[in-house]
Amino acid sequence: MGAVPAFRFNGVRRTLLTAVVLFLLLFLVAPLVAVFSEALRKGLGAYFAAFTDPAALSAIKLTLLTTAVVIPLNLVFGVAAAWCIAKFRFPGKTLLISLIDLPFAISPVIAGLVFVLLFGRNGWLGAWLEAHDWHIIFAWPGIVLATTFVTLPFIARELIPYMQEQGRDEEEAARLMGANGWQILFRITLPRAKLALLYGIVLCNARAMGEFGAVSVVSGHVRGQTDTLPLHVEVLYNEYDFSAAFAVASLLTLLALVTLVIKTWLERRGVHATRSA
Amino acid sequence: MSIEIEHIDKRYGAFRALDDVSLEIPRGELTALLGPSGSGKTTLLRIIAGLEQPDPGQGLIRFQGQDIAKVPVSDRRVGFVFQHYALFPHLSVFENVAFGLRVKPRRQRPGDAAIKQKVGALLDLVQLASFAERYPAQLSGGQRQRVALARALAIEPEVLLLDEPFGALDAKVRLELRRWLRRLHDELHVTSVFVTHDQDEAMEVSDRVVIMNQGRIEQIGTPQEVYHRPTSAFVMSFVGQVNVFKGRLPGTVSAASGLHAEGFGAVYFVRPADVDIRPLKSTGTEQALTVARIHTAGPLVRIELAGRGHELITAELTQERFQQLDLAPQQQVQVEFRTVHRFDP
Repeated sequence: MGAVPAFRFNGVRRTLLTAVVLFLLLFLVAPLVAVFSEALRKGLGAYFAAFTDPAALSAIKLTLLTTAVVIPLNLVFGVAAAWCIAKFRFPGKTLLISLIDLPFAISPVIAGLVFVLLFGRNGWLGAWLEAHDWHIIFAWPGIVLATTFVTLPFIARELIPYMQEQGRDEEEAARLMGANGWQILFRITLPRAKLALLYGIVLCNARAMGEFGAVSVVSGHVRGQTDTLPLHVEVLYNEYDFSAAFAVASLLTLLALVTLVIKTWLERRGVHATRSA
Repeated sequence: MSIEIEHIDKRYGAFRALDDVSLEIPRGELTALLGPSGSGKTTLLRIIAGLEQPDPGQGLIRFQGQDIAKVPVSDRRVGFVFQHYALFPHLSVFENVAFGLRVKPRRQRPGDAAIKQKVGALLDLVQLASFAERYPAQLSGGQRQRVALARALAIEPEVLLLDEPFGALDAKVRLELRRWLRRLHDELHVTSVFVTHDQDEAMEVSDRVVIMNQGRIEQIGTPQEVYHRPTSAFVMSFVGQVNVFKGRLPGTVSAASGLHAEGFGAVYFVRPADVDIRPLKSTGTEQALTVARIHTAGPLVRIELAGRGHELITAELTQERFQQLDLAPQQQVQVEFRTVHRFDP
């Protein structure tokens, strides 16, 4: 007993810690530094010019529009799915849970291709859509669809374990006091799951703004029309306009950092600590 | 409002939670559903509330003579108190109690002033008026359960159902709260049913005890009846401590006990308080017992006696009787049974 095992344990700890720090430096800190230093290489003037370029503005607008549609869609789906799964027993529940995870398992490129197959010119619904002059693929509705698909699990996945853990007593209490289903949802279930909900929205938002693969397939890359921020970064990069590419990329990076801050703040507030009293 | 329950069945897969249960709960009484875990008592309570459905069949539940199968949970006017309080953690004590009033349809909903007055009165009733602005997490267990009770009473229930209401509290608070509940019931006279697995609690608080075992009702009666005149071996052993003897009694039987012949294969039950210790008349008799252990801490002295061919016999004596006998460990004694219950298997 005594100092020897403790010393050895310290050695292990030091080795692991060093490994973790090295990994973090190499894979997280270095890219972050690279993004901002490249973005600012030609000075602040060029940095801000990159955002005022019409194509960049259009990309920002499209990204915001997509997110503004995708988040409410996911909110409705996530709350409905989580409520069903957490509070009720029904046949096919396990299947539903697996289905929600599907977008995590599928490569985003394939997700995009699926929508092309469904709604594209030669797709199943292509002729019908064309007859009605509705444009989905290579237009913003396709981008919204692909992004919704990719981000589908985020809110539901956050809510389900949280709502399951809370049990049903409070809902039953509310029902016995005469509350109807909507009153229970809006006055009891959702307020109690508020932090988990916010957490899900933040993650969903980050992913929706940053999605590349699926969107890339359905967007058609029409500059100034169907380019989102990540696509715009790629276009700029491919045109060797590195400082502009990194400037726009820094915007997405900032978004990631803000997400991280909000996420940490929510965790501090106790997304996983607020239990029923 | 009286509650009549007729022929209720409930299965969960192969498990029979309730097996043809019929029961009448008189208006204004406080009834305890007493039984070990898995006896079906909570299931029965939840079925009365409408939180569970009985299996389809001839089963029927009536409130004041009216079938309630078609009445939705939210219209049953049932106040329900959960074991783990089920308070709304994001609402203040005041808002918890006000909830049932705020969710009423617009036309029946009282105004803010009326709600304030009513909630205030209820918080006074449960002695928590100064806690109105607190949140559930800031209250002790006993306080939370009183808030839950005030909340259940806010909708002016016809029936009050309590599911192990004191189960999550520590012993001292539990004792205080159950006496307080009894006094409250004497004030309000709401027909109340509460579930418990604690026989002391059921005996002390309720007007009537319904003893359940394996999905069936074993006995219904006042606390005195089920304690002194149990109708089954299960009830006898469940509502108090008991000595069990198979076939033969290791002592004399008092003439007043009403028990005559000893039957082969019969099972006798004697409460410790009905075992009286006597000095040994002659040594070497079959009925000689040895004092194994003496517990004097408590209002009664508990003595364990060892003998051949049976387990330890527990006797409870008054302090006076104990002094008089002047017992010591290892002393040889014999016993007389004052009251003996016999249940043939």
